[in-house]
Amino acid sequence: MKMLVRTLDMEYETVSAFAAQAGFKTPSGDLIRRDTRGHLSSGLFPVWVLGGVAVFLLLLTTTGCGKTAAASYRLNMVESAKQRLKPEQEQQVATILAALFGTPDEPIAPSECGLDAAKLHLAAGPVRSDIVGRKNGLYREHCAHCHGVTGDGMGPTAAFLNPYPRDYRPGVFKFKSTERADKPTHADLVMVLRNGLAGSSMPSFALLSDAKIDALSEYVKYLSIRGEVELALMRAFFELDDEDQGRLPEDREFLIEEIVLPVAEAWQAAEDALIDVPEMAADIDMAASIAKGKELFYGNKANCVKCHGVTGLGDGQVNDYDDWNKVVLQAHKTVQGGLEQAGEASTWDMDADEADEHRAELAWLDRFQKVLDGNALPPRTIRPRNLRQGIYRGGMRPLDLYYRIHAGINGAPMPAAKGTVPPEDIWHIVNYIRSLPYDFNGTLGVDKPMVARDRL
Amino acid sequence: MMTTSRSTVGGCHSGLKRPIAAHCLIFVICLAVGVAAPGCGAGSVAGPAPDFEAALVLREKLASATGATEAGEEKPQGTGWATLKGRFIFAGAPGDAKPLIVDKDTEVCSKGGMKLYDRSLMVDASTKGLANVVLFLRNSSRVKEPVPTDALVFDQKNCEFLTPVFAARVGQPIDVKNSDPIGHNTNISGTSFNQLIPAGESTVFTAGRETGLPVTVTCNIHPWMKAYAVFREDGYVAVSAPDGSFTIPNLPAGEPLEFQVWHERSTGRSGAISLDQPELKWNAKGRFKIQLEEDEVRDLGTLEVPADAISG
Repeated sequence: MKMLVRTLDMEYETVSAFAAQAGFKTPSGDLIRRDTRGHLSSGLFPVWVLGGVAVFLLLLTTTGCGKTAAASYRLNMVESAKQRLKPEQEQQVATILAALFGTPDEPIAPSECGLDAAKLHLAAGPVRSDIVGRKNGLYREHCAHCHGVTGDGMGPTAAFLNPYPRDYRPGVFKFKSTERADKPTHADLVMVLRNGLAGSSMPSFALLSDAKIDALSEYVKYLSIRGEVELALMRAFFELDDEDQGRLPEDREFLIEEIVLPVAEAWQAAEDALIDVPEMAADIDMAASIAKGKELFYGNKANCVKCHGVTGLGDGQVNDYDDWNKVVLQAHKTVQGGLEQAGEASTWDMDADEADEHRAELAWLDRFQKVLDGNALPPRTIRPRNLRQGIYRGGMRPLDLYYRIHAGINGAPMPAAKGTVPPEDIWHIVNYIRSLPYDFNGTLGVDKPMVARDRL
Repeated sequence: MMTTSRSTVGGCHSGLKRPIAAHCLIFVICLAVGVAAPGCGAGSVAGPAPDFEAALVLREKLASATGATEAGEEKPQGTGWATLKGRFIFAGAPGDAKPLIVDKDTEVCSKGGMKLYDRSLMVDASTKGLANVVLFLRNSSRVKEPVPTDALVFDQKNCEFLTPVFAARVGQPIDVKNSDPIGHNTNISGTSFNQLIPAGESTVFTAGRETGLPVTVTCNIHPWMKAYAVFREDGYVAVSAPDGSFTIPNLPAGEPLEFQVWHERSTGRSGAISLDQPELKWNAKGRFKIQLEEDEVRDLGTLEVPADAISG
């Protein structure tokens, strides 16, 4: 409240100075005055002054923070705080990233990344039309409000969505046709854009032309590579030989070969890392296959029941987190643990050095807390899929379900069955899963899916 | 403020209308200030903006054909091999290990009233030896032994990983085993390895790159299960034994070596253990430097980890 009064006073002064200059006077003939406490003296305070203040403040709030600056990328402050980077180290990361990847309005990428500059240009920048009327700035038109200009999954609407929009920066994607540890292919990203992710807030962009979807997929890849490089740079400070105040080397060998290349190569390798899916036998006895799948679902081999629950409603394991939320959760624990430990210490029995160290630790924890409050969404648990609804994020084709079971879901707790569950068994599980929305107390034959709770 | 404005009513020429308008306006101002005062995006911590001029210079430098690699100092390289050993002890009181909350598959995991305990701080009662301290060489110049081709077994039994902390070489096969009659999954963070391991079966994992500091190994089905893994290219890594002792043989001799030390519960940066030992130039990142002579077996003796270096 004190703050508010001070702000009011300042506005009052601004306005009254203006009024005095312009020769305005109050009805009593005095220039605007303050009361004895120095606060607003509303007795002599005419409505038009208040009106002026109101208009001024409304303008201030409706036009935002003054000027319209060019869009900029946000630094990964959670990782920076975790790595205890100093401001000059953060600045170096920001500068290296600008050198390698440009800005949201003018993206570039090292040639090693193999990204198509024309596609990036179409997707990047503010929403605008070029000379032939072609729409540019597709990412900000369609994606940024959820995924953020930086691709950190922290756009303005992100906090209101469940699940949160994907943060591309760790370079981990869930729904793909490649092995768990591999990147998605370009076609995988295109498919997510075209079909959306059923059951999440990600809509289908099927109304966009192929060229636009292609450009956006390329841009997602660009933001992801940029984010991974940022993480690698921030983590590299710990690997430096010098203890503090360290700067990263700024030569090709380090920046391109050591940092960018591994990321870029992983993306290129994905195109040849498709999961080899043996076809399901054409003459399969479906009823027998579903029965076998059920056995596997509840059995010790595939163990689906542990997380998806005995009912298949996805209520078996409800207190786990995905990798993105785990990072934030872990950071909260670090800060809390640190504060508790620091709370037990007293500078009373410390020497000067120890006291300095203690204060530096507290300052770090304090900033880390602010970063977690302001730069990260509150960690949220992940629910295993409710298999009774027939809604599958990554696609409902039998092939999509095969991919999910074979490779698991990268970034989520869902493990891979590959290697320990043979392909024919994976097909049995797929068939059983596909029967679940139609299953009524263990009897098939209900001709359409029902709401799960009506059935139980 | 509101009440004083009442007294002004009489003083106003146009009667009652104004104060009401004034009240409304004050309300609007308060509202506007309420929105404006926290500011745009306040609460979020903004990092420094890039230095665009420097970025352009750097971009040109990286694009130039020469690559302009900064000349690094040529590191001296010795000959022969040597051994480093020592023993970690914990100076504090470890306290009783906390029992873990076991709420799944209790017929196996709590068989016969069996309890599982937190293993993040294992101190040998008689010798005070601190187990599971990880010590590894940073940036080795040469390696004596090739990567072993026989698999390292990483097993789980009674809903517990049998090795709380393990080290393996990049490229070395790890046989991830499940000796329980129930299914587990093994999730090694940072590697994208998360595999179902059916009852009594196993699968092979091979690390493709170094981990830097150790990473967690968990089972999502049984959330209390936790272990750590460290993968190194050169295999110059040790995990201290139950009595706190460690030995790293076949280290490159005759050249400066730098070791990284880590413990799960360390209060240091990212788990780094830093000891007050000026002769080893032990720094805040948990590293010390040492040079060994050919065929030397250097015993660092007893390395005491103070009580406040471990989180409570």
